[in-house]
Parts: sequence; C-alpha cells; structure tokens
Amino acid sequence: MLVFFRDGFYKDLIILLVLTVIVGAVFSQGIAWAIDTYFGDTLDGMIGEYGEYDVILHIREEAKETALRELERIGEESFPGYRVNQTLTIAGQANFFFGFPDAYRTREVLESITSYFGAVPGINGYTLMVEPSVLIRGVHPAAREDVREQIEELEGVKFVVKDGNNLVIVLLNEDWISGVTKKIEDILQQYQILELRFPMGFEVDTQEVGDQALAILHAQNTTGEDVYKNVTSAEYGEDLDAFLKTLVEMRDFLGSYASQVRIIPEPGVELGVGELILLEDDLTIEVTGMYGDLVEAMIVEGSPVQSTDRIVQKGYRYRNDGERGEFIGDVEIENERYRLAYAVDESLRLLAELEELSVQASTAVDNAEAVLTTFQEALMQLEVLQVQMRQLNEGIASGEAKSSGEQFLVTLLLNGLFQTLAQGVINTGEESLDSLQNLDIEEMRKSLAGISTQISNVQEIDVTAIMEQIGFVRDTLPDLNDAEIGQSIRLINTYLAGQVIPGERVQLLIQGKPLDAKVFETIFQEELENPYLHTYSTSVGMVSPDARGEVFRILKEVRSIVAGMLSIIFTMIVLILDHATIFSTLKYVRACERPDKRGWKRLFNPLFFLGGTLGTVILTSVYYLSRSQIPFFSLPFVVLLGFVLGVLIVAFAERFSPVHSMELMAGQSLGLSNVQIMREVVIPPSRPGLLNILNRFKQQF
Amino acid sequence: MLEIKDLHKSYGKLVALDGVDLRVSKGETVVIMGPSGCGKSTLIRCVNRLTEPDTGTILLGGKNVLSLNGRELQNLRRNVGFVFQQFNLIGRLTVLENVMFHLVLGGMNQDEARVKGRLALEKVGLRSTEDRRPHELSGGQQQRVGIARALVTNPEIMLWDEPTASLDPILVGEVLEVMEELVKTTATTMVIVTHEVSFALRVAERIVFMDKGQVVEQGAPSKVFENPQSDIARLYRKLLVN
Repeated sequence: MLVFFRDGFYKDLIILLVLTVIVGAVFSQGIAWAIDTYFGDTLDGMIGEYGEYDVILHIREEAKETALRELERIGEESFPGYRVNQTLTIAGQANFFFGFPDAYRTREVLESITSYFGAVPGINGYTLMVEPSVLIRGVHPAAREDVREQIEELEGVKFVVKDGNNLVIVLLNEDWISGVTKKIEDILQQYQILELRFPMGFEVDTQEVGDQALAILHAQNTTGEDVYKNVTSAEYGEDLDAFLKTLVEMRDFLGSYASQVRIIPEPGVELGVGELILLEDDLTIEVTGMYGDLVEAMIVEGSPVQSTDRIVQKGYRYRNDGERGEFIGDVEIENERYRLAYAVDESLRLLAELEELSVQASTAVDNAEAVLTTFQEALMQLEVLQVQMRQLNEGIASGEAKSSGEQFLVTLLLNGLFQTLAQGVINTGEESLDSLQNLDIEEMRKSLAGISTQISNVQEIDVTAIMEQIGFVRDTLPDLNDAEIGQSIRLINTYLAGQVIPGERVQLLIQGKPLDAKVFETIFQEELENPYLHTYSTSVGMVSPDARGEVFRILKEVRSIVAGMLSIIFTMIVLILDHATIFSTLKYVRACERPDKRGWKRLFNPLFFLGGTLGTVILTSVYYLSRSQIPFFSLPFVVLLGFVLGVLIVAFAERFSPVHSMELMAGQSLGLSNVQIMREVVIPPSRPGLLNILNRFKQQF
Repeated sequence: MLEIKDLHKSYGKLVALDGVDLRVSKGETVVIMGPSGCGKSTLIRCVNRLTEPDTGTILLGGKNVLSLNGRELQNLRRNVGFVFQQFNLIGRLTVLENVMFHLVLGGMNQDEARVKGRLALEKVGLRSTEDRRPHELSGGQQQRVGIARALVTNPEIMLWDEPTASLDPILVGEVLEVMEELVKTTATTMVIVTHEVSFALRVAERIVFMDKGQVVEQGAPSKVFENPQSDIARLYRKLLVN
C-alpha cells in the first residue's frame, strides 16, 4: 500500500505535513496570544501598566467618594506627582490604586502606608503591589531580620519592605527578577523550621520542651557547624487557643446545666464510654465517664420530668435495632437546671415577701414607740399614786385624820379595803414598780430607733430592680432541653477531638544543613517520651510572584491551555479535511491490492499505523511548537492522543472525505501515476483544506 | 495479443474467476457473454490490473502483465483503452479535458492533446459538446465521451465493460452504433463484455460464454448460436430466437 507514495506523492505529503505543523503552531499560538493580549490589555486597563501603581487601598464602597477626595488631598500634600485610580468594586469593597512618584517610592514610605492612609474614610486595609518586586510570603519572625539583611546585600535589590509577615523585595528593574529570586531561594534554603506538634489534650510547656528538643538537636549535631534556636512563640496560635478554651468553657457551662445522670450498674454489668442506654419515659442517655463504680452519663434524647427531686429510672442497653436490651441497673437523674430555675423563682418570692415585711415592721416599730410612751406616762402616774398611797397608809396608821368624821369615814370605808390595797401596793407594788423603774426606756427607745433605721434602709433597697435582674437571670438560663444540651456537648467534643485544632507546638529554627523531619520524629518521640508527637519541616518563607505576576501566570496558563485545546482541534480538522482524503484513497487502493495470505499481515493494517503516526507527528509538533500546556497532559499522553486521533480518522475516513472511486479507477485505467491521480483526480474535489490549497499549485487541470 | 492462463480471483469466499484460459489475437473482436456475476467484468479488469488476480498469467503483447510495476504498468494501461459501464468521467473537467487530460499528463503538449481530443470527440459525434461538463450530457453522450477518452491514445487493445448496461434502451442504440463503427473502421483488438446478443452477432469474431468464473464455451457466433454446447449458450440462443 505504501508503494502508492513512491512515485512522488510522498513529497506532497511531507510538504503538507511541515506546513500543517507550522500553520497549526501559528494558529494555536496566535489565537492563544490574541486571548492573552486581550486579557492582558483588559488587566492593564484595570490595574494599570507595569509599575504604575504601588499600593491597592481597600475602601468600603459607601465611603469611596469621600475616600477619593481624601486620597487626592493626601497625594497633593504628601506625594506631589502621585497617581490614583479607582478600579473594581468587589463585594462592597472599592479598590483604589495609588502610585507614588519615584522620589517617594522608598522603604520608609512603603512601611508607613498605615500612617499616611490610616485615616482615609472607610479604609479596610491595603495590599502592596510595588513593581518590579519579589514577594516572600510568611517569613518566620525568627529569621525575618536575618533574611532581610542578607537580601538587602544582593545585587539588583533596591530595598526590602516589611509588610506584615511578608517581605517585599523591590528591585532596580524587572531584569533582576529571576536572578534575585534564585538567590533569595538560596538564602531561604539555609533555614528550616522544624515543628513539633502535640496532639489535642497534651498540655506541655512549649518553652521547656523546645529547650529539650534543642538539646537533642545539639547532641545530634556532630559537626557543630549548624545553628539551632528555639523560636517557639507564645503568641503563636493564641487566637486558636482562646477559641479552644472558649469551646471548653462552653462545654462545661452547658454541662453544668444538663441533668446529672448517674448509673448504678447491676453487678456483672460492664459499660463503656459512649454506650447508649435506654430509660423508661423514652429517654436515651450516653455514658460519658466511668470512675470506679460510678458511671456518669448525659441525656442525648428526650427530656426528664421537671422535678427538684432525684428521679430514678431503670436503664436498658440500647440495641442496634433501637429496642431495649438487657437491664443494666438503676439510673439517677437530677435536674440541676430545673433546681436552679426553682431556686431563682423562690428567691423572687422571698424578695417580694421581704418588701412587704419591711412595711409591716416599720408600722410595728411605730406602734411599739407609742406603747412605750404610754407605758412611761403610766409608770410616772403609778409612782405618784404610790407616794400618795404611802402617805395615806402612814396617815391611817398614825390616826392623823383631819376630822373625826372624815377619819371615821375613811377608817370605815378604806380601812379594810385600802389597808389591804395599800398594804398590797406597798408590799408588791413597791417591788413591781421598782422593777418597772429599772426598765431602761431610753435604751429601748434607742433600740427601736435603730430597728426603724434598718427597716428604712431595707425599704430604700431597690427590691424591684433586684427582682427584675433575677428574673432576667432566670430568663437567660439556656432554653435548651437535656437532649439538645447533650447533642451540643457531643458536637463540641467531636470538634475538640478532631484534627482541625492542632495541639501545642514547638518551633525550632535550623540554620545550616536541612534535617529530615521524619528521622527526627522518631528521635523526639523516644527522647521526649511522647509517641504521639509529630515533626514537620517548613521553610521560613515562600517566594511568590507578585499579584500582577500571579495574574499573568494564570493568563499564561490559560494561554497554554487554550493553545493546547486549539492544537487538538487543529489536528482533528487537518486530519479530517486533508488526511482523510488520503486515507480514503489508500483504503481503496488497499482493497484493490492482492490480499496477503500471511496471517499476521492480514491482521496488521499499515494504514492505521500511518494514520496514527501522522496524527502523532502533527499533534505533538503543533502542541510543542505552540508552547501548549494542558494540565495532566504529559508528552506521552499527547503522543498517544495524536495516535488515537489518527487511527480514528483512518477508521472513519470515507465518512469524512469519501473518495470518488469511479474517477480514481478511470485515472488508473488511463495510466496515470499515483501522484497524478491524487493531484488531478482525488484532491481537487476533496474538502477544502491545506492539501487542497497546496494542490492548486501543482494541478494541471 | 492477449493470452490469459489459469486465472483465479476470489473475493473472500466468493470465487469470481476459476481458472480462466483465454487467447485473443491481434485485431480480433471478442465478445464475452454470460450471466451477471459470472466473472466477465473481473476478467477484463484483471487485464489492465484494475483488479489484481490471485493467481494465473496474463500476457499482453508478450509482456507478463502481473509482473509489471509502477511506470511499466502505467505504460501498459496507456495502451489499453477501457470503457466503463458507469462511464467514470471526471466530473469537474469539461468533455474535451476528460478526453485529453491523460495525454497531457502523459507528457503530450497541450495543443497537440487538444487536437487529438477533438478528433476523438469527432469520431463519437460529440465535437460540439467539448466545453460542457459531464453532468450536462445524456447517459449515451457521457458513454461516448468515455469511448472517445479510451480511443484518443490509439490503444492496441480496447476493453469494454458492459458499456450499455447503465443506459436506458433509447440511448443504447447510439452507443452501439458508435461501437460498431469503431470495430469496422479500426484495427484495434477489442474485448467486449455485453449482454447485447444481436450486437455480438454483428460485430464479434468470436463469442466467449462464461459461467461461474469459467469459460464454458467459445467460438464463432454462427457456430455457438447454431449449435450451442453449454447451457449458457443455449439460453442466449433462446434470447436471440425470441
């Protein structure tokens, strides 16, 4: 079959192939370049020319007009010749690009952005985009100054700006980017952060463990050339720790309001933490802790009866089918939350009673004072009466009456009565009166006055306010039932137990030969007697392209992907328009040939191999020359894809480009060579393509 | 002129030629007849190797056709005129270009080729249609262009593969007329595959009957029709009588 090419058509095919590859590469690269240029220009329109702006100021959208005026004022006052441009507003945040004149593009200015622009209305932060520059992200504080000093010594570096945890290396011009980047990477490679992480729940003194780890490292460092430092930062992960503590507090807080559940297991019954127990009243509890015979649990489903009393229910194992299993023992439930609410309600009642009590006590004191006054007056009259009675008695006794008649009458009337009375008064009255006279009325009056003052003080207390606040406290008690509390606690425990929150960490700065974290993990685990700690190695900083560089890198990727896609599409089109015609012709020629009787040759169709090869050559060449790069498309994959495409086009060649077999046969019968048949008979009526166009230069009819 | 020996050709399991022997003398007009599928077309296509036989020998002008390759085969084909059942004209070329283009591609000067082409068209009565495209002509005219194309090189032998089979009965006459005229006026060796019995009787010097890939009877028309030896010959005789 390949004999077909020998009389000259192979030259046409080679020219076609070369032109196809060139045109394909130009086509793919050209369109990709056009897309790249379009987006690049669009980007320039949005974020300015390279080096035009130095900082992006993020301003709240509603303040952007005011902010612009302020920026213009700052620019005119502090940076004459400044440039400012408002670009995209994203998610309620306007972005202003601000460019400093060359004279002001200094380390001091760039490190003082906040002091210059901190008062701009609505400012929400800033991003440095000074160009040309190299950005090192996340530079560890322990190595920052050291690294900075070394970088500032590099040729091509104008100055280094500290921007949060990042270092922005401003260069003299963009030609230095790759060279300086390489040198920075070399500098960063001198450092290594070896991090020891402890799992959740391990509370260790990180400084102490850091020093221990340092000692281990020094012991391993036989040359003594490398430098090790304990750079564990107490602040590191502070927010996370606070969050963790808050979660723990929240869990304890919720736990204190949950009903206290204790299980008294039957002899021989074994329970495990996390096991579910079914109670009467459709309550489900989960075992949370086991302390000897005492088993604690919490309610995870259902709510117990609201009672201040201890509730005792029978517990059963929770079977997989949700039904009750064996009896495991009695379960005591004390509803602390209800008890608290009950106590608060009682306090409110007490306060209400107290207020009433003070009013009544005040009245009682007033009454007591009145009684005391009356009593005092009565006592005085009684003393007078006592004197008179004594005189009377003495008179009677001595017979000194004023007249015999009076004396007689008094003697008659009063002798018996008064004698008895007077005697009684004298005998008993004197004693009683003495004791009444001994009463310290004034002291009693003072006491009453004191009580009165205290009652007044009580009345002055704003009991209503106290009651309102206690009512508020009652209302702020978690409005959760036991099941909800239990589920919340479970959720917090799950979160705390998860990998999302790292435990304590120790950081060691290594300067010198990098250490293998995995090797030292084993050493640290043994030496620090903690098999759960893990060791990780990180760099002290990561060189990143600047923001614009990142965008352009993405654009470059897009261009490469577009070029790759176009390469594949172009290859398919070329194979369909041009090569399918050739394949159809060759298939016809092969069908007319004397069939080969040898078995393996009958199975092997060289046409498929030819198609696959052509597909491979075209796709691989176009893909390579157009600098295509599709993710996950390795070179072998591209080669294979080209081959498969070629084979497929051969398989369906007649459908894509049917050959006029009658005309072809006529050409053969007229003694035309194969190349003449192709040029004059087959190609001219074929689909328009490169082959067709090229053929016109050689076609005679 | 043409000598075919023990020629075999199969298409898969279908045997098209099963040991055909045939000898055609120079200037002789041989008509091959037989039922459809008996191998007639395959036989004459094997002569210029439009179809490759499996085994056998074909000698044309003393040359072993089956051993020719490349340019030798092309030269052979230029000396063998072939008229197709379906005309097989090049659709995008004019009538004249169809007739002359292979002369030019064979190295002849354009003007000379044009003159020769017009002469050939003259012979088939289509001089006036030289600028038309094939699809603008009737079937009979197209076939006459095909005949002119085969004639234009003055071939030593002409192979006709059922030239009237695709034509409606009205147009058959004009083609047969041209063919008959050519047979009478040229000394070219002719091998004609046809079902036209009366035409065969008129022009053939020898009629060859084929059946199931084999030559079953051959001889002068008068002989084979008067005293047919094979079933096929008898069938054709019956057709002639009717």
